[in-house]
Amino acid sequence: MAENMNSDNTMIEMIKVSRTYKPNITALSDISFSIKTGEMFFLIGRSGAGKTTLLKLICNMEVPTKGLIEVAGHNINQLKGNDLAHLRQKIGVAYQDFKLLSDRTVAENIAISMEVSCKKPRAIKQQVRDLLDQLLLTDKHNTITSELSRGEQQRVALARAVANSPRLILVDEPTGNLDAATTKQVMDLLNRSKQSGATIVIATHDASIYQQSKHRVMELQNGAIHSLTKGA
Amino acid sequence: MNFWFAVFRQAGRNLRQTWTSQLMTFLTVSLSVLIFAFFYLIYTNMLGAGDRLSDDLRLIVYLEEEPGTEMKEQLRRKIENFDDVEEIIFISKAMAYERFAAQLGDDSDVLADMPEDFLPASIEVVPLQTLRGYNQIKLFSEYLASLPGTEKVQYGQEWVERFYYFTRLLTIVVLLSGTLLILTATFMVAYTIRLTIMGRRDELELLKLVGATNSYIRTPFLIEGILQGFMGSIIGLSALYGLFRWISLHFAGPGILNLFQFNFFSFQVTLIIVLGSISLCSLGSYSSIRKFLKI
Ligand SMILES: Nc1ncnc2c1ncn2[C@@H]1O[C@H](COP(=O)(O)OP(=O)(O)OP(=O)(O)O)[C@@H](O)[C@H]1O
Ligand SMILES: [Mg+2]
Repeated sequence: MAENMNSDNTMIEMIKVSRTYKPNITALSDISFSIKTGEMFFLIGRSGAGKTTLLKLICNMEVPTKGLIEVAGHNINQLKGNDLAHLRQKIGVAYQDFKLLSDRTVAENIAISMEVSCKKPRAIKQQVRDLLDQLLLTDKHNTITSELSRGEQQRVALARAVANSPRLILVDEPTGNLDAATTKQVMDLLNRSKQSGATIVIATHDASIYQQSKHRVMELQNGAIHSLTKGA
Repeated sequence: MNFWFAVFRQAGRNLRQTWTSQLMTFLTVSLSVLIFAFFYLIYTNMLGAGDRLSDDLRLIVYLEEEPGTEMKEQLRRKIENFDDVEEIIFISKAMAYERFAAQLGDDSDVLADMPEDFLPASIEVVPLQTLRGYNQIKLFSEYLASLPGTEKVQYGQEWVERFYYFTRLLTIVVLLSGTLLILTATFMVAYTIRLTIMGRRDELELLKLVGATNSYIRTPFLIEGILQGFMGSIIGLSALYGLFRWISLHFAGPGILNLFQFNFFSFQVTLIIVLGSISLCSLGSYSSIRKFLKI
């Protein structure tokens, strides 16, 4: 599976994907686009446009009502059991609601994605420290996450998403609660991941992080693609 | 390697998080093993004693008169008609007298005035080892009593009967305590693991999202069950062994225990009880995993 992720140069393929919720909420309708391996891709749109839903579809947290979703060449809705687990180990997700374990320390939360992939304990420790340094959280190593500010929790969630060196990183609102300086740290971290070959999809309201970039930006409006820039 | 490290750490977290109910489960399992093993120990020892007793079991048929050679053959045929027997011994009046005199030993002079034929002639029938059941012995004795020329049949009826009913009762008690063990081990373990699973919904959910395999999520709970079964049976059996030693020490000497040659379980039986307890507890944890960890 890992080789597949590198050799195929399309990371995400979505063809005519729709997602509706009962009773008749259309979160996404007829979405078709693809993202290349190693690309950084921005997903924007008003609140409720369907950004989070789209990310959840990509990591198989939600299933599409209609349409085809392929990640690294696999139809993600047909993967089961260990195949799905192994693919998910290669996908890092920073959720909008963080999904941190509130009774565990920052270090434990970040370690979890690496533990699941059975990394060596020493390598895990080292990686956790590196990430905390990069995200200006060095002194929070042993803090219980429920005692952190929202901005800090957001960065811990991001650290967990990138910790296991995933090939695909999905980030939902990474900078919503951050000041300009911290936002820059976060974007630097994501850029480093991109440089090491990861594909990155960022859902955001924060125009400052995509406006000057030369990456593609897709705007959703009421669950449909409103615009998709070419990028440079 | 790292998988097992992670899995054991997770199992350790589980134990810590729900340690009160873990402790309760552990104690219940130990106690159930103790109760079951206690009765089972008595039961196996009773069976052993029963074997030894029935080695000596013989039916004595008192005859109305000394049988002639012809008559002896007829009786032998009649007895063997009912069932094969181990041995048939004819005791003449004279032999009975000699035996009795020998038993009396120094006191044999009290017999001096008695005629040598005052004791009845008899047949000692040693039944086959397979004829052990109380009912069979009883039927056999009734058959023997119905033979012509017999006066009565003796085989320590009362003793055999009591022993037989006691063993029957023990069988039931062993079965009951075995059922108790099965129920407590499986249900208590299933319950605590359910409790752990409920208490860590979020974490288990997250583990799936970050790509934990089924075995990564399930193995810690299985380990928990195996551990409960192992610890519970070891502690239960150790307690029983302690009790056994204590009783042996305090009731040593020519008592009932010596008569029965009270033995502790062999290594094999101990192993089987431990393995049985482990499998029951694993079964309990597995059922909870199946029900509450849908993956
Ligand atoms: N589980 C759900 N059940 C019902 N409706 C849902 C569910 N999840 C999302 N929706 C609806 O789907 C639409 C898109 O939601 P989504 O969370 O994708 O928006 P978003 O673009 O991420 O918004 P925001 O910028 O506020 O995070 C919304 O109208 C929302 O109410
Ligand atoms: Mg959202």
